[in-house]
Amino acid sequence: MTELGLRLAVSFTQIAAVTCIVIVTVLLLTLAERKVLGWMQDRMGPMEVGPYGILQPFADAIKLFFKEDIVPAGANKFLFTMAPILALIPALIGFAVIPWGPNQSLEIGSFTIKPFIISDINIGILYILAFASIGAYGIILGGWSSNSKYSLLGGLRSAAQVISYELNVGLSIVGVLIMAGSLSLVQITDAQSGWFWNWYVFAFPAPQIFALVVYVISAVAETNRVPFDLPEAESELVAGFFTEYSGLRFAFFYLAEYANMVLVSCVAAAMFLGGWNAPYPGTLIGYLGLPAFAWVENTMWFAVKTYSFLFLFFWLRATLPRLRYDQLMRFGWKVMLPIALANIVVTALAVFFHQQMK
Amino acid sequence: MTPPATTRRTDLLEWFKTITFYEILVGMKSTLSHLLHYKPVTLQYPHEKRTLPDNYRGMLALLRYDDGTEKCVGCDLCEAACPSRVIRVVSAEVPGEPTKRYSKEYYMDMTRCLFCGMCVDACPVDALGMTREFEWAVYDKRQLHLNKEQLLAIGDRSYPIREKRLELQHPNTAFFNVAFKHIPQKPE
Repeated sequence: MTELGLRLAVSFTQIAAVTCIVIVTVLLLTLAERKVLGWMQDRMGPMEVGPYGILQPFADAIKLFFKEDIVPAGANKFLFTMAPILALIPALIGFAVIPWGPNQSLEIGSFTIKPFIISDINIGILYILAFASIGAYGIILGGWSSNSKYSLLGGLRSAAQVISYELNVGLSIVGVLIMAGSLSLVQITDAQSGWFWNWYVFAFPAPQIFALVVYVISAVAETNRVPFDLPEAESELVAGFFTEYSGLRFAFFYLAEYANMVLVSCVAAAMFLGGWNAPYPGTLIGYLGLPAFAWVENTMWFAVKTYSFLFLFFWLRATLPRLRYDQLMRFGWKVMLPIALANIVVTALAVFFHQQMK
Repeated sequence: MTPPATTRRTDLLEWFKTITFYEILVGMKSTLSHLLHYKPVTLQYPHEKRTLPDNYRGMLALLRYDDGTEKCVGCDLCEAACPSRVIRVVSAEVPGEPTKRYSKEYYMDMTRCLFCGMCVDACPVDALGMTREFEWAVYDKRQLHLNKEQLLAIGDRSYPIREKRLELQHPNTAFFNVAFKHIPQKPE
């Protein structure tokens, strides 16, 4: 009983810590996006709240918190309430299997815990994909239950888009899974240790560079970001699926979008760029004779990789205009899908012959 | 018939550009260079204000002579010149001096003003001026309905140097208010 209690306490602490980190990252991202976008467009971004506008996320949060919560007439109240939660929970729950730091174990009394991952389940990446699909329900139901044509159109677009591009996300990952021989993100990351050419983007015998490109493009589409932001195209559909949402419910959708961005960036970093591994074997702090603090450097590397993906999201947003709907579909099914499938075939053959040679 | 070699080469180049996202990369390079050479064109408006040009046409004002007397002679020309009927002048004789007139009441409805400056041009005694005030946003539209005191106050704070009153200036003979058929009549 006490062991169960202790395990629960440890798990809850980890969940709270990870959720806090994600929320803080999301707060940071809302500011960083506006700032980076502004700088790229010769503007300043938010400058009013706090020095250089650094308190803007808090101002936004307070504003959204105190806004009137409007439920439109004719809306399906139950689904209207459920949709933001359905969008947010899957986005946050995926972080349970992301390894933030080295695969160490910590002995506390009679049992061991892994401090840098909430739960090392052996179907890690499948679990993330499964919950990402549930997140699409939140968007579709939110669009449908609002009783508004813009919301419905946004939801429909989102349904078609997420289904088309989730396929590509799944298929682009398969190459990595073939090479790693595991679905667990911990084992996939462990298999990429050593020099940076062991990362699966560059790894012998089948570099997953095309898979990374397909993954990043599909991830942008799946998180409904520019240039694939058709579900919330503001110049066409007001705000798409969350047109009718206000206050905290709107904040939930917003949070879900950014949490999804962080999640796909984390997955990309863990699957293709070696996760928490430094580009060189071991860690600098370990070489300096402090191996107990090597995890600091490792988590830093993970953060750097994740944030560079997030920067790529902003960068794409500042550069590219929105795709037309038929272009989006054609690109997903006729370009991305064949590349992903071909990548699987080539990787499978390469790995097979590589193992035969040994 | 096979296409010429040059066409084939350009086709190959186009194909290569397509699969490497060449055009998108060019665009991304452009945005990144703007990020690295960050030179914002923004003016942080309430905190810093741009210098206005000398001929800036801002808020209208009534002016005074250096001895504090009003310049306005109540001729109504500004009212006639105004294309959006902003101005309403009630002209009256100066008591005891039948040849002199002044504006007993002077109203401007600044909600309609388009700041063309034609009233200023029309004024024969330079009694109207345009100031450099432009921050006149109000919560109540009725606050933009200005009377003579308010207009004089704007003039007082915007024109510290006043024109000297000439001795011969004042006996104004005013035969204004000539009615033209093609101009809509002012409401009574």
